[in-house]
Amino acid sequence: MTPTAPTAARPADAAPSRTAAAPRRRRRHGAPAVLLTPFFVLFTGATLVPIGYALYLSLYAEHRSGLGFGGGETVFTGLGNYTRALGDAAFRGGFVNLAEYCLLYIPLMTGLALVLALLLDSALVRARRFFQLALFLPHAVPGTIAALIWVYLYTPGISPVIGALDALGAQADLLGHPLAAVVNMAVWEWTGYNMVIFFAALQAVPREVLEAAVVDGAGPLRTALSIKLPLIRSSLAVVGLFTVIGSLQLFTEPMILHGTTPSVTSAWSPNMYAYTAAFERHDYGLAAASSVLLALAAAGLSFAVTRATRGRGGSRPPHGTERAV
Amino acid sequence: MSAAPARSRTPLRAAAALTAAALSATLLAGCGGDGKDASAGPDKPVDITFWGWAKGTKQVVDAFNASHKDVRVRYEEIPSGAAGGYAKLSNAAKAGNAPDVFNVEYPQLPDFVSQGAVADISQYVDAGLKAKYLPQAVQLTTLGGATYALPLDAAPQVFYYRKDLFAKAGITAAPTTWAEFRADAVKLKQAQPGSRIATFFPDDPTTFEAMAWQAGAQWFGTSGDTWQVGLTGAETNKAADYWQKMIDDDLVRVEPSFSQQWTASLQKGGTAGYLGASWGGGVLKGTLPEEQAGKWAVAPLPAWNGAASGMLGGSTFAVSKDSGKVKAAVEFAAWATTTAEGIQARISSGDSSTYPADPDLVPVAAKAFKAEFYGGQDVYAVYKGAAATIGQKWTWGPAMGVTNTTLKDSFGKLADHSGTISQALAAAQKDTVAELKNRGLKVSAR
Repeated sequence: MTPTAPTAARPADAAPSRTAAAPRRRRRHGAPAVLLTPFFVLFTGATLVPIGYALYLSLYAEHRSGLGFGGGETVFTGLGNYTRALGDAAFRGGFVNLAEYCLLYIPLMTGLALVLALLLDSALVRARRFFQLALFLPHAVPGTIAALIWVYLYTPGISPVIGALDALGAQADLLGHPLAAVVNMAVWEWTGYNMVIFFAALQAVPREVLEAAVVDGAGPLRTALSIKLPLIRSSLAVVGLFTVIGSLQLFTEPMILHGTTPSVTSAWSPNMYAYTAAFERHDYGLAAASSVLLALAAAGLSFAVTRATRGRGGSRPPHGTERAV
Repeated sequence: MSAAPARSRTPLRAAAALTAAALSATLLAGCGGDGKDASAGPDKPVDITFWGWAKGTKQVVDAFNASHKDVRVRYEEIPSGAAGGYAKLSNAAKAGNAPDVFNVEYPQLPDFVSQGAVADISQYVDAGLKAKYLPQAVQLTTLGGATYALPLDAAPQVFYYRKDLFAKAGITAAPTTWAEFRADAVKLKQAQPGSRIATFFPDDPTTFEAMAWQAGAQWFGTSGDTWQVGLTGAETNKAADYWQKMIDDDLVRVEPSFSQQWTASLQKGGTAGYLGASWGGGVLKGTLPEEQAGKWAVAPLPAWNGAASGMLGGSTFAVSKDSGKVKAAVEFAAWATTTAEGIQARISSGDSSTYPADPDLVPVAAKAFKAEFYGGQDVYAVYKGAAATIGQKWTWGPAMGVTNTTLKDSFGKLADHSGTISQALAAAQKDTVAELKNRGLKVSAR
């Protein structure tokens, strides 16, 4: 979403030199306004209003009287829903799963994407285009469909992979180990995508710097670690930020696994907790409160990631990658 | 982009703005709900919308529309309740765009009523209509003295089994008691180490609930305005201990119901039986390949002492609270549940083995059901016997969403033996009581 505003505004700044003074001013304000209105209308309708509604819902609860069949009344509970969510071991357990997932998935996926990008960027690889496309392809498969296919591959009795492993005498029960199952799906889906970002950043590294390194006697490994990596630090930061935010919203993969194996509980990730609260427990207040708590965690964490990477890297991390992509 | 001639920018920009504006306008229009047309002239039929998923429903709607001029039903098939249908329904009810009529199973009905999603249809259901249904079914759709739904089927739990696999293991007749069931399970496993007698469904607590019901348990009750919750009584524990031992001794599979795993296991003969409801007969037939036709048979559920059955699921027709067309909706629901044409259309579809809640229609259903898959067995005779022994004490609680979510999550620990059925029941008892209190209801433990 962020790049929308600057790119939309840029042509307006460039245009004035050719036009007369009076219409120029009107146009300068008119065009951005026209172009931005749809965005702000949609942004308000699809983002701000729902957030406001969720905040409102999170402060209320449904109370019923008698046996509970005569309909209920909505009562203000203050932070009651928040304390209930935080007091629920299932909700906290979701965050524990999430933390384990992040600790396993983020280094694994980022590392893999980085290694692949460096390999593609090095002189070692032939058929570069082919590998670029082949590695990116998993990302083109919609997440839900990918998850369904993985579930098929995980399920003993029907999976050819598990069948082959069984024949070799190796027992693989990924359905019993949800964390590994989910991390595997996510790595498969996102490695290629992030590899493309890293690869693009590597392509933007000035060739004269690399030539200088070669002249100075640096081998391919040394060049990769001491020249290329520091120069693409800003795109590492962006990938890190997006991955952290994306990970916190973990939903599709475990939700589909939940339908197949009960070892993935209905509150396996915080997002699933909110979903279950709303649609299985019919407790919209609790669902809203847990969503708000998750959003706060995401905001806090992305702030921390931005601060951490800004301290070490350049002053404007996102712009470097924007150009590179 | 930067190399583009500057002259072309202005028209380009205007075009872009127009496109963007047009796009967002269509998007916004797409977000708006379709207006409900509540007005119906004297010649125009009343249009009602209907959400369901039971097998044969489309045929029922087609038959109704073909024979009625005053009401026209628009049917939309949704995923089965547990597979997301209930989420869709409760979401729609909350958003105020629920269909006029929808199918909801007995266990979930009180929850939907408690949410305020269901209309009280007492004034449209006269004593004559009520008298047509089995008393157990009427009792389960009457909450707090008011009628909230019309029952489609009574769904007694029965035992489907592979005759050929049983014979191979030297078992000549279906087990009649749970002790025999266990003995047969052992024999089956001895004869074919890869085969198990049945499956414990960790994802579907209603199967265990039906067995607790059969054992004589009563999880919920009311006394005045107070709910009584008792998930850990002696009868429930009897069923829980029995199944825990079956799981511990690896005599049954622990796999999700209707999963690819379960289906594959049935297809390969790795699972020789299914503790399903009357409606499960049609589902089984539709799920399994042709070559298993004739190999299956149906028997009453094994007994503890004396014949008894619990009900597993079972569908009702409920009218949405927001519907302005209650009368038309009830007319359709009554037709679908109490007329020979309605039942005939459903069963003739081929995949439905609904056991009608209106006992007069059982012969119609039995005649319409093609029983080749069960070797021509009179399956409706078995259903009828089982339906007559459905325990009458059972009522469903007002927060089965919470009760079953906790049970499901805890049953998830059964497969790798990191939890037990008793622990699951204790957790569900605790969560259910907490939820009822949270809703402002009075509650006591039974």
